[in-house]
Amino acid sequence: MTEVFVNMGQISAFKTQGILTTVGLGSCVGVTLYDDLAKVGVMGHIFLPRSRERDAGAPPGKYADTGIPAMIDEAVRLGAQRSRLKAKMAGGANLFPNLNANSTSIGTQNIEAVTEHLKKHGIAIIGKDVAGDYGRKMRFFVDTGVVTVTAIGKEAVKI
Amino acid sequence: MAKTVLITDDTAFMRMTLKNVIEKNGYNVVGEAGDGEEAVALYRELKPDMVTMDITMPKMDGITAIKEIMKIDPGAKIIVCSAMGQKPMVIEALSAGAKDFLVKPFDAERVVESLRKISS
Amino acid sequence: MMNDAKLDFLKELANIGTGHATTALSQMLSGRLFQLVVPDAQMLPFDQAADYVGGLEQVIVGIFVVVSGDVRGHMAFLLPVDSALVLVRLLTEDDSGEINELARSALQELGNIMITSYLNALAKMTTLLMAPSVPGVAVDMAGAVWQSILAGAEVTDEVTVIRTEFFADGEAIEGHILFLPDDDDFKQIARMLGLEEV
Repeated sequence: MTEVFVNMGQISAFKTQGILTTVGLGSCVGVTLYDDLAKVGVMGHIFLPRSRERDAGAPPGKYADTGIPAMIDEAVRLGAQRSRLKAKMAGGANLFPNLNANSTSIGTQNIEAVTEHLKKHGIAIIGKDVAGDYGRKMRFFVDTGVVTVTAIGKEAVKI
Repeated sequence: MAKTVLITDDTAFMRMTLKNVIEKNGYNVVGEAGDGEEAVALYRELKPDMVTMDITMPKMDGITAIKEIMKIDPGAKIIVCSAMGQKPMVIEALSAGAKDFLVKPFDAERVVESLRKISS
Repeated sequence: MMNDAKLDFLKELANIGTGHATTALSQMLSGRLFQLVVPDAQMLPFDQAADYVGGLEQVIVGIFVVVSGDVRGHMAFLLPVDSALVLVRLLTEDDSGEINELARSALQELGNIMITSYLNALAKMTTLLMAPSVPGVAVDMAGAVWQSILAGAEVTDEVTVIRTEFFADGEAIEGHILFLPDDDDFKQIARMLGLEEV
């Protein structure tokens, strides 16, 4: 089965089968959308919550506000139905908790932004493994819809 | 009787290193503080002969701690041990009341030399 | 906007800063054989920086500080866990091969001294105050550490990575330094050193 690595700011998708993997979820949030009937799966790797003017040429998947709609469009393009899409998310950690202890960490901001935008588009979040102070790797098996999350020194989690 | 020293640094590694050097040279380390707040509290409690003070620490930085300790005891003998050796910082520390400023990393001899100088 | 002049200037700063940081490091490891290979600086798109270090899943140690004062921004020192363990062994005589509490503490202090020495050198040259915060230390997959640093520093386009190689006690140690001043403050540094166009 083909495995595609989804880098920071990228969005990739498969129909029927394939593995979508993203490594390096620190404060970033990995998001998956799945239509289990059409077997269409999309993965995004969100870097920051809000897009900014000075980065106008950026790929939409870099920011939560432009990334979620772009992921939905990609899913629909491959034959998914908006109403059947379900989401899962992983990441949003704070690897350096003692820095900027007084403000909300980027990881938490990303989790909030992704949650908000999914809700805005009427997509339910059916699984998540977020926050904490450690990095994660997320693998999405499009044939089954299973998402596994691994981290150093921790048991693998199915979300 | 051996002169007493209070060590202040936010890393356990540095406190351990300083303690070894200082005790090997005949001084008695009576306390270890991990931040400025703890240093002030321990100074009040232990009244050490001398203090080593880091600058960059959580909760309360070294400059503030120096000022607080000088309020408690204007005769306090404080040596700064910090990597932050930029001029404005050195001036601020000495103005606040520190007797010496050692920039990390420093040789063991340098610390001992400084302690001897201020304890006399 | 990144350009050749800016990269050359950053390389200059890197040479000076790294020179001081290395002197500090060698002093910390007193009595050991020590050499420095001339550091090289690369400008990379932010999403490729982690890969450049050698694999997103490789375990690395990342030491990260916030810089304040006349120049605001961030700085980081990253090294593969194997290199970190060599330094831990040389600093603490602990050769258990694991990053325990003492090891973390030693690495935090090492990172603190290196980063601060780097900033001290730049501060002296520019007469600008650059004060580092208490460092944060992460031991984790390279991808996650790099990404967290870049997000924390709000780097969204390119990042200049300075690669350094040391030899201590016959072992090769590799490290990467990131100097990430905020845009406006970077211009300030350039101006203080007589470069107007960067």
